[in-house]
Amino acid sequence: MDFKTDALMYILAFAVIAFVIAQSLFFMIKAWRRGKEIGIEERKMKQTVISSILFTVAPAVSILATVLALASALGIVLPWIRLSVIGNLAYETVAAENALSVLGSSLSKEITDVRQFSTVAWTMTIGSCFPLVLLPIFCKKIHRAMGKAASKSKAAGALGDILAAAAFIGIIAAFISRSVAGVPSDGPSAGVMSVATLLSSMIFTIALDNLCRKKNLKKLEPFVLPIAMFGAMGIAVLLTQVLPAEIAAYTWR
Amino acid sequence: MKENKTYFDKLHTWGSIWSVSALAVLFAIPLVFSIYHNAFPEFKVLLKALAAVIPIYWSTAIIEVLTYTPIMGAGGTYLSFVTGNITNLKLPCAMNAMERANVKGTSEEGEIISTIAIGASAITTTIVIAAGVLLFAPVLPHITAEDSVLRPAFEYVIPALFGALGASYFAKYWKISILPIAAGIIAYIFAPSIPVGTMIFVTIVVSLLGAFAMFKLKWVK
Repeated sequence: MDFKTDALMYILAFAVIAFVIAQSLFFMIKAWRRGKEIGIEERKMKQTVISSILFTVAPAVSILATVLALASALGIVLPWIRLSVIGNLAYETVAAENALSVLGSSLSKEITDVRQFSTVAWTMTIGSCFPLVLLPIFCKKIHRAMGKAASKSKAAGALGDILAAAAFIGIIAAFISRSVAGVPSDGPSAGVMSVATLLSSMIFTIALDNLCRKKNLKKLEPFVLPIAMFGAMGIAVLLTQVLPAEIAAYTWR
Repeated sequence: MKENKTYFDKLHTWGSIWSVSALAVLFAIPLVFSIYHNAFPEFKVLLKALAAVIPIYWSTAIIEVLTYTPIMGAGGTYLSFVTGNITNLKLPCAMNAMERANVKGTSEEGEIISTIAIGASAITTTIVIAAGVLLFAPVLPHITAEDSVLRPAFEYVIPALFGALGASYFAKYWKISILPIAAGIIAYIFAPSIPVGTMIFVTIVVSLLGAFAMFKLKWVK
């Protein structure tokens, strides 16, 4: 049997999944109880769960696509494990490719040597473990500093709120500007399609937000983002079909 | 206030325990594999592979911990860094949930909503990937294949996601949004392949400085 997909690998994968689900449930239950204690409506928390699940499906499918892309070289189980714990769509591909190139191989070739496979597994693990070393040391300190800054900025008026919004906007701006002018390592370059998808999802969101406000549709609110996202993905499929190929494929980077 | 403090203190204790356990689980995978097959990597080769990976990954890790920790709250941070896919999934998910629930990231309500959102997202991702691997592995390559009709939907998932997320924020805070977007676009014009993790650092700094200046100039309230 292929060592990449033998029983041992599946047992390891299930252990990782059990760990990730246990940790998520642990923190969710603690947060839920605390939420009830401080008077957050249960309806609000339930809506958060539902909208987060809907929100996650599409990106999760693209993560799954990465698992499958790595599977030809590494078998299906190692990429599955790596992308279920710490793993990141873009990083894992790069880590595997780097390790393989040192071994004189590449992601397009299947690994058949058990020691090569072990080298790749160790490289991906050591490469990605660092945040888990940093967090126990720094997370509390960062939060304490944040707490102090927040209480100071309360005294200074609305500045704290504006800076919090500005930090959010800074993150979004990086991705928006990449869709307009960048060359991502994990997707197509900026061009007609990336901008069309970006604009469609913005238009959908604004239209749905207005609809919720005008018709007072409180129940629709948590679904605005997932609907807009799927709508824009639908537009991307539609435009690829109806636009002349040279326009749809046009990228300026 | 005292009770509030204990909840956060407990969160950090739980978080540290889970992080260390996650490290153990993470290293158990190559370790068990290597012992079982008696196939440890050659030290020299491993070192060479790591030399190519560690400088980028570990410096990104430092930037990520510094950037995301204040935004996602304590519970959300501990969960996200174990389950991964932060920029493309956990962070936008938490931001959306807090925006929709009308709570601020720095408040305790924000902390709770963010943790619940990230937990739900982590479980969903794990289930989708597991189900995909076990049930749909034979079919899925056709759906995401180069010539599949649905391929563009998955290729453009990032602009679809951040466009939707951005629209609500930009409508609300358009004045402070212009500067970081412009800075990002200009930076990408000159260096189109900058990793987005690095760019986030640049656009956050520009955004914070811009917002601070506008507040001082009384352009925004």
